[in-house]
Amino acid sequence: MAQTQLLDEQDDGQIGECHVMVTVEDRTHPQTPPTGRTHPYQDTPPFSQVDDQPKDSKLRGFRRIRKNQDYVHITMAKSSISRLPSEWWKTGIAFIWAGLNLVLTTVMITIVHDRVPDKSVSPPLPDKFFDYVPRMEWAFRVTEVIGMILVILWFIQWLSLKYRAIVGRRFFFLQGLLYMYRMVTMYITTLPVPSMHMECAPKLQNNSHEKLQRVYQLVSGAGLSITGSHRMCGDFLYSGHTVMLTLTFLFIYEYSPRSRLWTVYHVICGLLSTMGVACILLGHEHYSLDVVVAYFITSRLFYWYHTMANNQALRGSPHNYLNRVWWSFMFSFLEKNVKLSVPCTFSWPISVPSVSFKNPCRSYSKVQSSREE
Amino acid sequence: MKEVRLWTASDVSDWLTEEGMQEYTEALREKDGPALLQLSEQDFNTLPLSLVTGDSGRQLLERIETLRFTSHMKAHKGNNHKNSYHANGHVGVILANGSISNGKTVNGGPKNGLLSEPVRILIPSLSEQERTPFPTEWFKTGVAFLYALCCFLMTTVMISVVHERVPPKEETPPLPDKFFDLFDRVEWAFSICEINGMLLVGLWFTQWLLLKHRSIIGRRFFFIVGTLYLYRCVTMYVTTLPVPGMHFKCSPKLFGDWEAQSRRVMKLMAGGGLSITGSHALCGDYLYSGHTVMLTLTYLFIKEYSPRRFWWYHSICWCLSAVGIFCILLAHDHYTIDVVVAYFMTTRLFWWYHTMANQQALKEKSAGNMFSRVWWFSPFQYFETNVRGIVPRNYQLPFLLRTLTSTRVKYSKLDSRES
Repeated sequence: MAQTQLLDEQDDGQIGECHVMVTVEDRTHPQTPPTGRTHPYQDTPPFSQVDDQPKDSKLRGFRRIRKNQDYVHITMAKSSISRLPSEWWKTGIAFIWAGLNLVLTTVMITIVHDRVPDKSVSPPLPDKFFDYVPRMEWAFRVTEVIGMILVILWFIQWLSLKYRAIVGRRFFFLQGLLYMYRMVTMYITTLPVPSMHMECAPKLQNNSHEKLQRVYQLVSGAGLSITGSHRMCGDFLYSGHTVMLTLTFLFIYEYSPRSRLWTVYHVICGLLSTMGVACILLGHEHYSLDVVVAYFITSRLFYWYHTMANNQALRGSPHNYLNRVWWSFMFSFLEKNVKLSVPCTFSWPISVPSVSFKNPCRSYSKVQSSREE
Repeated sequence: MKEVRLWTASDVSDWLTEEGMQEYTEALREKDGPALLQLSEQDFNTLPLSLVTGDSGRQLLERIETLRFTSHMKAHKGNNHKNSYHANGHVGVILANGSISNGKTVNGGPKNGLLSEPVRILIPSLSEQERTPFPTEWFKTGVAFLYALCCFLMTTVMISVVHERVPPKEETPPLPDKFFDLFDRVEWAFSICEINGMLLVGLWFTQWLLLKHRSIIGRRFFFIVGTLYLYRCVTMYVTTLPVPGMHFKCSPKLFGDWEAQSRRVMKLMAGGGLSITGSHALCGDYLYSGHTVMLTLTYLFIKEYSPRRFWWYHSICWCLSAVGIFCILLAHDHYTIDVVVAYFMTTRLFWWYHTMANQQALKEKSAGNMFSRVWWFSPFQYFETNVRGIVPRNYQLPFLLRTLTSTRVKYSKLDSRES
């Protein structure tokens, strides 16, 4: 065989000419003997010249053999990091979607405001809660304060999550969708004001400039009465305040650890949320129906979306009825590359490589850290 | 076929020909039944049989052995085996384990491993839920039916209660509604809606009767309908919407007259809540629309549990449903919001329930399974826990029709043995 011949020649060359190979210059070309004897394999690859110990001549020969074979490519499973890609641009799109829906809702409120029947023409509808509980003036302000607290808490929690791109995307998408549904229900049937105390701004029949100003005022005040921006009536079914309170609580609960210490936090947030919703009704600002429908739609949508996202088995299954909703194409766009349920891990928002710690929520720290690296 | 002992020589040769062993007919033409049974290996090693046989008669001996005990079985069919061994005057010796040998001791065991009486293998009788992945469990269907009935009753009572609270149309005019602005009222439209509803319910009922797993599917229908009507109770009660149109003629209010109210409830139930039957003259049950619920739900069930290739059937039902819903609005009998909310609730509940039922992973309470947080998860588990897998769309005539036409295949040997 040519290769064994090569080895033999090499050996001969080594043994025969060893006294010559001691010289340094010859070290660079160990394959070619200093006598200049021609070899069939003159053009040696550089890597095989690295090792120039005599007993490695056979090894060198093996390396040379290997170089002429094809390498076998073994595909390794992708690491779990790539199964939860950040894709901030998708979060940006979801944010735009939410923003667009908020603005459209504001426009719709302005339109609906003109269709609300006057208090004298259409008195408030009979409502069971209002029959039992009289109105309290301060209640709605409490609701809005609680709402702001919950939103701030959720924002802080969101900032400290590791996979904030994915979670943020979900929040914006659900919020936008809920406000879109709200637009539809507000528009098709207009309920009268729930209580005689409500002071609605005067109607502007065709004054579009004024209307635009109102839209701007509402958006800048975030739709809250505290900021004085919300003096328009007609957006009763269903209640946007309930949506925000419920949604922030659901997200806070979902993306935080389940240990005993955190349960206190969950209970506090749950109580805040419930109190906020109760105060809406105490203030006679919405019908009970608005609140009930808002809670139902928010919670169901939240569960629906997360079940679709967390169960990989459902995604390709033909018996998955969940993707018969009209927004399933948006869902697959946002969640196509998310292959796992988002684990609960925290990390500092500003990534300082030496300081950023991954604090796992559960005590399976070994498993979790090895899974994510 | 008569017993081998009684065979004549011609019977023996006929049998040999039947068995495909014609080569022996010449050599065995003198042998009749009993002689055939007495053949042994030694006979095959001597003339004249040794000239004919290739395997020293092993195959033939086996066939004879089979013949012996099948005819023995026939002879002792229905008799007590122990008695018959002595009674029939067998040539053979009765061994301790009840097997027969024809005079040749075979070390106490049966020759060729064949026992002459059947061995009884006890099969443990499994309960139905272990035998099949889709057990019928009519009891659970009955519970679901009762639940639906309770919800209907509660809805009727609630309508009657709410009726008292509806503001009169002079005080509170109908609310502004976008659809009413665009389309004027059409008088006969509501009858169309109710006719469509009745048609769809009839179609669904017929289809349900023809399904094989009707208990499981019926259970699902009753549970979903009951829950939807329960939700309807809640939304009707908390806030009362005014009448959608001035054309409404609401019955007079009976303040506190319980007897008259209960009579009204009965009348409403008896009429199925339809205006066509004249039972529904009560106002206030607007959010959300029960008619939309029935139209949508029956269509969803029809489509789900019928063959995929009946697209024409699905299209017809879809048209019936859509026209029915449109006519509700055209008749100004419900606000648009009632119809929209009803459609939303029905479809979401249907899809939710069926996704949970079809995925084994979603039937258990776990952190990843958010669907387990709904309040009706425990009843759901009760109904669907023994259903393993997706209910196939199989069809079968209902029981009464089945007994009329006997299409059962008769397996003669087994049947005759049992008799």
